[in-house]
Amino acid sequence: MIRSVLSGFLKVYQRFFTLLGYGSCRYYPTCSEYAKWQLETNPNLFKALFMSILRILRCNQLFVGGIDYPKISANPSKDARFCDRPCTVRYWYVPDSRKKRWNVIKNIFSKGRS
Amino acid sequence: MIDNMSTQMRVIVATVLSLIVFIGYDYLFMPKVSPRTFDANSSTQVTGRDAVSSTPSTAAPAAPAADASQHIEKREAAPVSEGGLERVIATVETSNMTMEFDALGRISQVYLKDRQYRDEEGEELKLFNTPKIPKPLEIRFSDPALNELAFKTPYTVSVSSVELNGSKKRLTFRQDLDGFIVEKEIDIFPDHHYEATVRLSEPRPFYISPGVRPDLRVDGYTVHGAMVEEADGTLTIIEDGDAKGTEAFRKARIAVAFDRYYATAFYDFDKGLNVVVNKDAEENPVLFINGESGRVIHGYIGPKEHKILQAIHPELTKIIEFGWFTFIAAPMFKVLLWLHGYIPNWGWTIVALTFLIRIILYPLTYKGMVSMYKLKELAPKIKEIQAKYKGDPQKMNAHMMELYKKHKANPLGGCLPMLLQIPVFFAIYRVLLNAIELKGAEWILWIDDLSVMDPYYVLPILMGASMWAHQMVTPNNFTDPMQEKIFKWLPVIFTFFFVTFPAGLVLYWLTNNIFSIAQQLLINKMLEKNKKAE
Repeated sequence: MIRSVLSGFLKVYQRFFTLLGYGSCRYYPTCSEYAKWQLETNPNLFKALFMSILRILRCNQLFVGGIDYPKISANPSKDARFCDRPCTVRYWYVPDSRKKRWNVIKNIFSKGRS
Repeated sequence: MIDNMSTQMRVIVATVLSLIVFIGYDYLFMPKVSPRTFDANSSTQVTGRDAVSSTPSTAAPAAPAADASQHIEKREAAPVSEGGLERVIATVETSNMTMEFDALGRISQVYLKDRQYRDEEGEELKLFNTPKIPKPLEIRFSDPALNELAFKTPYTVSVSSVELNGSKKRLTFRQDLDGFIVEKEIDIFPDHHYEATVRLSEPRPFYISPGVRPDLRVDGYTVHGAMVEEADGTLTIIEDGDAKGTEAFRKARIAVAFDRYYATAFYDFDKGLNVVVNKDAEENPVLFINGESGRVIHGYIGPKEHKILQAIHPELTKIIEFGWFTFIAAPMFKVLLWLHGYIPNWGWTIVALTFLIRIILYPLTYKGMVSMYKLKELAPKIKEIQAKYKGDPQKMNAHMMELYKKHKANPLGGCLPMLLQIPVFFAIYRVLLNAIELKGAEWILWIDDLSVMDPYYVLPILMGASMWAHQMVTPNNFTDPMQEKIFKWLPVIFTFFFVTFPAGLVLYWLTNNIFSIAQQLLINKMLEKNKKAE
């Protein structure tokens, strides 16, 4: 519930308010997109918020920027859902060098809801 | 186009469109009133409502007397106060104000004499324009019978007319309540502050008020109401309409009632004041302090002008209050005053402040520019990516970012600097709205008061134009046509938005835009050089 509300705010922000400072993010995905992915995948809501705030703090000229995917700790065997028919992949969990940590990459080829 | 939109999208579009219609209607058809006439209107409205709905209570604040008796008391008290007790019995003239005392020993009116405090006709401004009570220095006894008597008995005064030239002067008011003597000694200083001492022939609990707030400059942009600085320095603001009932503060340092520019306050930085905040019929806060026979009460009544307050007591400048953003706004106000020390014109001071902020942010901008140089070597690769992922902006972005990271060159500013600008803007907004120093301050040509809107709409239109120009020189690649459209309309929306803002604020925004354009042009030039070098 809280997640979807926050996610909704971010969507509104991305549509309108971002216009005031259009195209200033140094990263891919952008800070707002990063926060959205964190909110949608990280099992720990507070961690998701904390990581998103850290990301915004990192988004300035003192950091290089570039590609920076959300990293989450999760247990995919528990979180994964099995579908009995062809289902759309929304996020790819790519194993990180650390155990039980995953890089979250959104499937931008997905035709499903985004 | 509309058919392809989602429901959500349509709702948003409808909201924006209707907003535009409303603002447009307001702009084109509503009678245009200058802020001052607006003030006058609102205050007469208040008077009207006052007269109809409530006669103000004269009961002591903490005396929880039965409500019924209080109502009777009100009705009795009101006609009495109209009949003669509101007549002026003493007048004090200083170089910058005239103060009048009525027959109940209260400050009934203050006229400000300085040039910037006069209206268009050159008339002196009056701090109080409604018959609301309590008036400054009004005493209320906890004993209802005594209180009622006190509100019926006129004071006598030692001198009826005093003129201050340089030093303080004393007025002594005396009231005889069937043998119980109330004496009010008031020392008036030439700089809007005073010291009052109440002496009672026998100890009786009483309250004394710094008065209801001045109602000269009340508007929707700024906070008006009461504020208490508590013993530990915490500022508690009770806005008009938000007073909850009786609230008490022990050993408070300042109790002030204020509108946008003017204030009436009691303060004591050594021993502290025991403050009680009540509410009136409109839920506006009403301040009282616990009276103590023989103790000196320090008071201030006048404009919230930094120079005057600083001279009386540096701590007193806290009554200039900027709300949530005080932590940024207060230092910014200091910088503004410091700049003004060198630049006599307030308009140019604002321009200088904008410039100063830009200079502080320059190191970051500079880093961005250095990145631009580095991009020179990457130009062929960028072109390659752009060609390869034409029509898929998301993937193009991802690859560009990869490239930037690999070569440690990133032309974008970042979200943090952008977000940091928001509190800075709000701080400037509050400073420029609340600084009385801007009242009657001229800039150039037609701008003769930076604290009110530009009467010819020139600054807001220039502001919109500069915003549009900034968009023109800033490269962008929108992926969503709807977004792009709104982006194009932003300057227009902002122009309407800024129309009624004080000219000083619009001037800040305009200057900021012009500096942004200059900076962007510089960056663009560098990019062009890069291309040529290719």
